[in-house]
Amino acid sequence: MTLATRQKWALPGSVTLLVAGVLASLATGDMRLSPAMIWAGITGTDELVSTVLWNIRLPRTLVAIEIGAALAASGVVMQAFFRNHLASPGLLGVSAGGSAGAVIAIGMGWAAWSYYLVPAAAVVGAMGATMAVVVLAKQGASTERLLLAGVALNALLGAVTSYVLSNFTLSYERNAQIIFWLLGGLEDRTWEHVMMAAPIALGAVLLWPLGRSMDLLSLGRNEAQSLGVDVKHLQRRMIILATVMTALATAVAGTVGFVGLVVPHIFRLLFGPEHQRLVPVSLIGGAAFVLFCDVFARSAGDLRLGIVTALVGGPFFLWMLRRAS
Amino acid sequence: MNALELKQVAVPDRLRSLDLTLATGQLVGLIGPNGSGKSTLLEVAAGLLPTAGSVAWRGRPLKEIPIVERGRLAAWVPQEAHFGFGFSVESVVGQGRFAHGDDGRGVAEALARFDLTALAKRPVNRLSGGERQRVMLARALVVDPKLHFWDEPLAALDVKHALEVLVLAQQLTRTGATVFMSLHDLRLAHCLDRVVVLDQGALRADGPPEDVLSGELLQAVFGVRLRTAPGMILELP
Repeated sequence: MTLATRQKWALPGSVTLLVAGVLASLATGDMRLSPAMIWAGITGTDELVSTVLWNIRLPRTLVAIEIGAALAASGVVMQAFFRNHLASPGLLGVSAGGSAGAVIAIGMGWAAWSYYLVPAAAVVGAMGATMAVVVLAKQGASTERLLLAGVALNALLGAVTSYVLSNFTLSYERNAQIIFWLLGGLEDRTWEHVMMAAPIALGAVLLWPLGRSMDLLSLGRNEAQSLGVDVKHLQRRMIILATVMTALATAVAGTVGFVGLVVPHIFRLLFGPEHQRLVPVSLIGGAAFVLFCDVFARSAGDLRLGIVTALVGGPFFLWMLRRAS
Repeated sequence: MNALELKQVAVPDRLRSLDLTLATGQLVGLIGPNGSGKSTLLEVAAGLLPTAGSVAWRGRPLKEIPIVERGRLAAWVPQEAHFGFGFSVESVVGQGRFAHGDDGRGVAEALARFDLTALAKRPVNRLSGGERQRVMLARALVVDPKLHFWDEPLAALDVKHALEVLVLAQQLTRTGATVFMSLHDLRLAHCLDRVVVLDQGALRADGPPEDVLSGELLQAVFGVRLRTAPGMILELP
């Protein structure tokens, strides 16, 4: 299939994947649901199925869509910002920053004042990590420098998260909490979590029109500026959007790695690097990717979502590193 | 009206305070040893590097020209193009029309002019150094600007393409554009209307090439001895 044909199918293809992912996610769990049963649940003709769908499956599915879209889009933005294929919220420590912020808010008991202090603290934590990476690695930095900055931040912020959890959480809850924040997951997600991450949709809308300018920026700061892009303004918007979207995803699902690395890379290989196409396709495809990983996690006896994305993403990352060298 | 006016521009450790005015329709070469500040001066002139003093394009202070309008008025070609992503040649050249609303005008002609038509669909990160340089020049050409700032555009080019770029630059100046480019090959200086010589971040000489490029100057700035001897002259057919 030629690139032009593939490009034509990019959007319809990713939407189809998303629809399939949503159906699989609604159907999978302790109680397996057929399409007919899902319909009965949605229309309210079967009360039990309706309860399962509305209270458990639908919030979980929507949170999966939100975090998948957010992490994949953040990956696209960070790759354009740093002009490096390997930049992504997980590897650069931005997700870990979000986790640390959220965990501090929970540990200090701020969550009791307002549930929305958790995502706010995640945003602060992620922003701190982003600023640290920007200072340490700068735009156009070598892969080594970028990854080393990410390794250092991930280790530091992971230690902060573990320390806070081990000191502020009751011991019987402790291990489960640490695992949740460090490995990410979608268990017991409620409508509150869906609402908490809802600003991700606004982020996606704001990101959509930046695609063309991101094309120019990804070939160089001076190049973009000389062609009429307000680079300072664009970079500020990109970094704020990517960080806030990652932070919100982390606040509701913990650290889910590799989505921002794998999804944009596959779509760039399939459909070309133009961001006007890559941004929407990654938003939709990222959501589909997390849905399928979560369905697999549930089918394989409640594996952690973060473990599944790492099992897919880890080898993929190593393959990319080998290819890059 | 002057195309470019630099007044007391200076960049710490790279460029000492200097004034420079370029008239409209001139092909001006910027020469000097490695590290003499050529790229810095071009970036300052192109409005890409903050500087002390003032920069004006066509009589207007740069600060008063919105960034998107600058993208229509001037084109900048970097010394080396780094392409991390596999955009097609055609799409990178088309980026030159960004500030014109991405209308795609002149892209096919620019590709043809730089022998890139056959490479139009090829990813830019799989091109040779010279091909990449031609892509950047083609992109500058489609901007259709009044001012061109080219940083060593000939460095990676073979002799035919280098001569073609010089001919193009001369043609551009005849249509009222001004071309300010750095170069190393002084044997090509006879194509220029004017030569500006930088040395250790300071303006050393400025004028027509035949006046400026004396044996004394080359000895003082580059540490080489000038000897004219009959030799090979390469020209486009």
